[in-house]
Amino acid sequence: MPFAHHVMGVEGAYPLLYAVWLLPFAGAVACWAFGPQLRRLAGPLASAVIGAAFAGTLLMWGFATQSVGGALGAHVSLGAWTRGFDFGLLMDPLALIWCIIITGVGFLIHVYSIGYMDGDRAYARFFAYMNFFVFAMLTLVLSDNVVGLLVGWGLVGLASYLLIGFWFERPSAVAAARKAFVINVVGDVGMMFAIFAIYAHVGSIGYGDIFANVPALGGALFLICVGLFIGAAAKSAQVPLHTWLPDAMEGPTPVSALIHAATMVTAGVYLVARFWPLFSSSPDAQELVATIGGITALLGAILGTAQWDIKRILAYSTMSQIGYMIMGVGVGAYEGGVSHFFTHAFFKAQLFLGSGLIIHALHNEQDIRRMGGLRARMPFAFWAMTLGVLAICGIPGFSAFFSKDAIIYGALRHGHPWLFWTGIVTAGITAYYMFRMLFVTFLGEYRGDVDPSDLGIRHPELAGTPLPAAPSHGESAEEPHAPAWIMEAPVAILMVPSVFAGWLLFGERSPWHAFFAQQFRPEATVATGIPELAASAIVLVMVLAGIGIAYYRYASKPALENATGRLQQESVHMPAALSAAFYFDTALDILFVKPAQGLGTVFGRWVDPKVIDGAVREIVLSCRWLGHLFRSFETGLVRAYALIVVFGAACFLAYYAFARGL
Amino acid sequence: MMVLLALVVLPIAAGFALYALPRADRTLAKGIATGVAAVTFLAGIALRDQSMSVRWLARPFTAAFHFADDGIGFWIALLLALCTLCAVLAANVPRLRDFLALMLLLEGAMMGVFLARDLLVFALFWDLMLVPVFLGLLGWGEHPSTAWRYLIYNFAGGLTLLLSTAAFGVAFGSTDVIGRSGLAHLGYIWGPWIFAGFAFAFLVKTPIWPLHTWMPPTYSDTPPPMVAVVSAVQSKAGLYGFIVVGMALLPEAMHAATYVMLWLGLISLLYGGFVALVQTDAKRIVAYSSLSHLGLILVAIFSFNALALRGALIYVIAHGLFNAVLFLVLGFIEEREETRSLPRLGGLARANPKIAGAFAIGALAALGLPGLIGFAGELIMLTGIFSAGYFWPALIALVPIVLAAAYMLRLFQDIMQGPEIPDVPIRRDLTLIEGLAVAPLVLAMVFFGVNPHALTTFDTTLYVSASELAP
Repeated sequence: MPFAHHVMGVEGAYPLLYAVWLLPFAGAVACWAFGPQLRRLAGPLASAVIGAAFAGTLLMWGFATQSVGGALGAHVSLGAWTRGFDFGLLMDPLALIWCIIITGVGFLIHVYSIGYMDGDRAYARFFAYMNFFVFAMLTLVLSDNVVGLLVGWGLVGLASYLLIGFWFERPSAVAAARKAFVINVVGDVGMMFAIFAIYAHVGSIGYGDIFANVPALGGALFLICVGLFIGAAAKSAQVPLHTWLPDAMEGPTPVSALIHAATMVTAGVYLVARFWPLFSSSPDAQELVATIGGITALLGAILGTAQWDIKRILAYSTMSQIGYMIMGVGVGAYEGGVSHFFTHAFFKAQLFLGSGLIIHALHNEQDIRRMGGLRARMPFAFWAMTLGVLAICGIPGFSAFFSKDAIIYGALRHGHPWLFWTGIVTAGITAYYMFRMLFVTFLGEYRGDVDPSDLGIRHPELAGTPLPAAPSHGESAEEPHAPAWIMEAPVAILMVPSVFAGWLLFGERSPWHAFFAQQFRPEATVATGIPELAASAIVLVMVLAGIGIAYYRYASKPALENATGRLQQESVHMPAALSAAFYFDTALDILFVKPAQGLGTVFGRWVDPKVIDGAVREIVLSCRWLGHLFRSFETGLVRAYALIVVFGAACFLAYYAFARGL
Repeated sequence: MMVLLALVVLPIAAGFALYALPRADRTLAKGIATGVAAVTFLAGIALRDQSMSVRWLARPFTAAFHFADDGIGFWIALLLALCTLCAVLAANVPRLRDFLALMLLLEGAMMGVFLARDLLVFALFWDLMLVPVFLGLLGWGEHPSTAWRYLIYNFAGGLTLLLSTAAFGVAFGSTDVIGRSGLAHLGYIWGPWIFAGFAFAFLVKTPIWPLHTWMPPTYSDTPPPMVAVVSAVQSKAGLYGFIVVGMALLPEAMHAATYVMLWLGLISLLYGGFVALVQTDAKRIVAYSSLSHLGLILVAIFSFNALALRGALIYVIAHGLFNAVLFLVLGFIEEREETRSLPRLGGLARANPKIAGAFAIGALAALGLPGLIGFAGELIMLTGIFSAGYFWPALIALVPIVLAAAYMLRLFQDIMQGPEIPDVPIRRDLTLIEGLAVAPLVLAMVFFGVNPHALTTFDTTLYVSASELAP
């Protein structure tokens, strides 16, 4: 089907774009191949490479936002596989925002890792994987077509797998890595389905061609959106494909900050925002995306209230916050959804890195019940975490206040009142569990020397697994020690945007709105009975209520005086449904894993040897002539038979060679 | 002509010549065999638009020793030469001289299959390529019964292939027909029966459910270097046959069989995937994964779509490369650990990072990681199948992709990761020679993963438009 080729972005030679894309790959290869030679230089080298990519990204700003005759951004072609399978790179405002976070926050996390991973046996391997992740993520957001996107999609999945299972001697890390990978392949498969349908209808995989031919998709549009969204849901930990994310906390903390908070898990938000012309044309798909996002936001927040592992609290909060973003892009508030990605990247990275300071200082203790009273001992970590918590709760002036409200109010303006109220309730629960974490960790007395069973920890041997390659500085395990400046500096830098980034969204003519003016077409809105200011006020009341309950339960005087007893009571009386995370793992196991293994066992142990071989044996034995022949095989000489085979074939051919007719 | 002779005759002649060497000198035998395999590989690279033909039969039908390369046979022949070279390099078995002789004979016989332009010559080499594998199983396998099972199944296939070839020759008057299309109709009486004979042989050789039960024991019993070549290349003979014999020469019968074949392919790809999930013998996991992957290629071929056919050839090469890597590396592991049972392995990556790396890349290619060749083949094949209007087959064929992720990671992790198993006999990472044997295969997987279009230079109209004559 011949048609005019549509390319998004202004064609040109952009050497800088190649540099931004390929530098991290070069860094990964260098750290991987020359790890033993580089030794402790691997970390600084890998960081410098990402820093250079960040500088390149900023220098691309002008090209990324240029607009010539309807083409927005910068585009280069990379060649084709076959007709319709054209590859290229596209840097437009949407890609630029992601690149800034990937390389900018990525750079800070790389620097932090120099301290965090210091002394690890596989130090260079860690940085090779991290650089590879940045390359894969850049491939994902810079591709100008859906197959390139899927390549990046799969490669970030691989990087995530490698880094979750980085300490691969631990069986729990190995299992978590496998689970994350397999669930993400479910998402990849959904996207493959979307690619088939797109190619069958459009004859091309390029974004430009797809978006120019939305009407040609016809009835397949909804299915394509569903296929894409399965990919988004798996990668962004949306219900019911979210169960891998809490387990993914088995990876080193910088990995959790970069991959499982700031960048990779938001790829689903990018996907829906990138394919907005498709989703905007399919109200059913939008309804599905927004609903799943809302459910995930609420569910993640509820499960966040029941966790004791500091990283799992943050993991569920990530899941919940991405639920917000998905809800935002699902209702059609693309700018709002993307803005929450932007602010979330800063404060969530800060929270994870802050928790890493604690975990590092306490020698891999992650259970907040065994912390307490850390405010005096680790004031920097305390302030870092406090600012992060204030930001995520959306206290006015802090970044999430702007971005989260843009989503919550956006749901109302685009005609989803139920999601509006879901978002408000979730905001309250978020405030509760984040302050719970903050109070239990930092206030009261240090409980690291309390008998775990007095804290309600049933399996202490599982709670604080000593790492085989634990970064250790030789001091006593009892006394937390101060981390090096190299880990504090990135956290300090992150505090600035995590507090102030939201101001970019302030006002009707905000810089954020101007930046995306040409990217998204505004969607129709409905009249709302509630003015935006009133909506913000309702959210604020919910947030304050959440903080109040957390204060009453964990920070008030009686609570602090009997902290150990109260934590034990809460642990023992935790509802079973919450402890089991609403049985999603069990359900997936019963519905998919067990039946698949059962089929495999039946086929392998019964159908193959009994049914098929049995039938073949019957056929062979029932034929007496063949039966005799085979019996003589078994008694005859082996090598002699080989000759018979060749001889037989030769006789057959000789017959034809010398026969004079039939 | 010299090139074709080098490809077909040189390995066979060298294989017999190897028996003249002193039995005990392993280094000499390996050196010579490697040299021959290397020359054959170089000849394969030089193989472009070559042709040779020697008249053979005039009656009852004309036949000729006609060899040539087309775009499909060329790449499979090159894959064969590369796999043989790597396998010979990696081989480390008792009675090495005899084993290497068999490897070269196997290479020559299979070259004949993929380069023959005459059906009768094709059938002759088809039967010849059984012999080295059968002898390999008898001499180096664990259970003689496996050798017999291999022989009985494949000989039955060889028999129907010969009968169909003879019938084709009689009905059409010539067997010098491979690489041609648009031949005169064979008629509705002959066509289906001739096709049935070919199809049976092709399905057994691939293999496709329910004719596959010879394959798992064969793959797990055959010494790793030989099974690397057998699973990588010999399994493609049937699929190659469906394309060059079925699609080009017997399009009506081929079309008539579409639904049966789609069903068999779909059953194979699910069945193999499910069984691979629960096997504990590492080589059997790869064997059942082959059943799954080859079933997918069969579905692609029988969707009669140019894109699917291109994808099928990419995946044929892909499967050859990653299966060769997986079996070679499993061989290295078995040599060191003296077991290939997953419950008895674990944590090898700690002491053997290079082995783990090579194995990981093979496993990732097998599970279709984007960026490696398996993904390109799968995606293009499935896009073609979907574009041809087969909605449900394309959808069902997505299931084994998820299964592949599960069983390949299980295979990799159970061997390489987790706590180290104590008291392992030998801890030695990849040696230089072993590394040289695996490196070209790995590089090819990466190179063609990014540039799969380099593989699809053949003219699809020869096969697809010829088939589209039928309704």
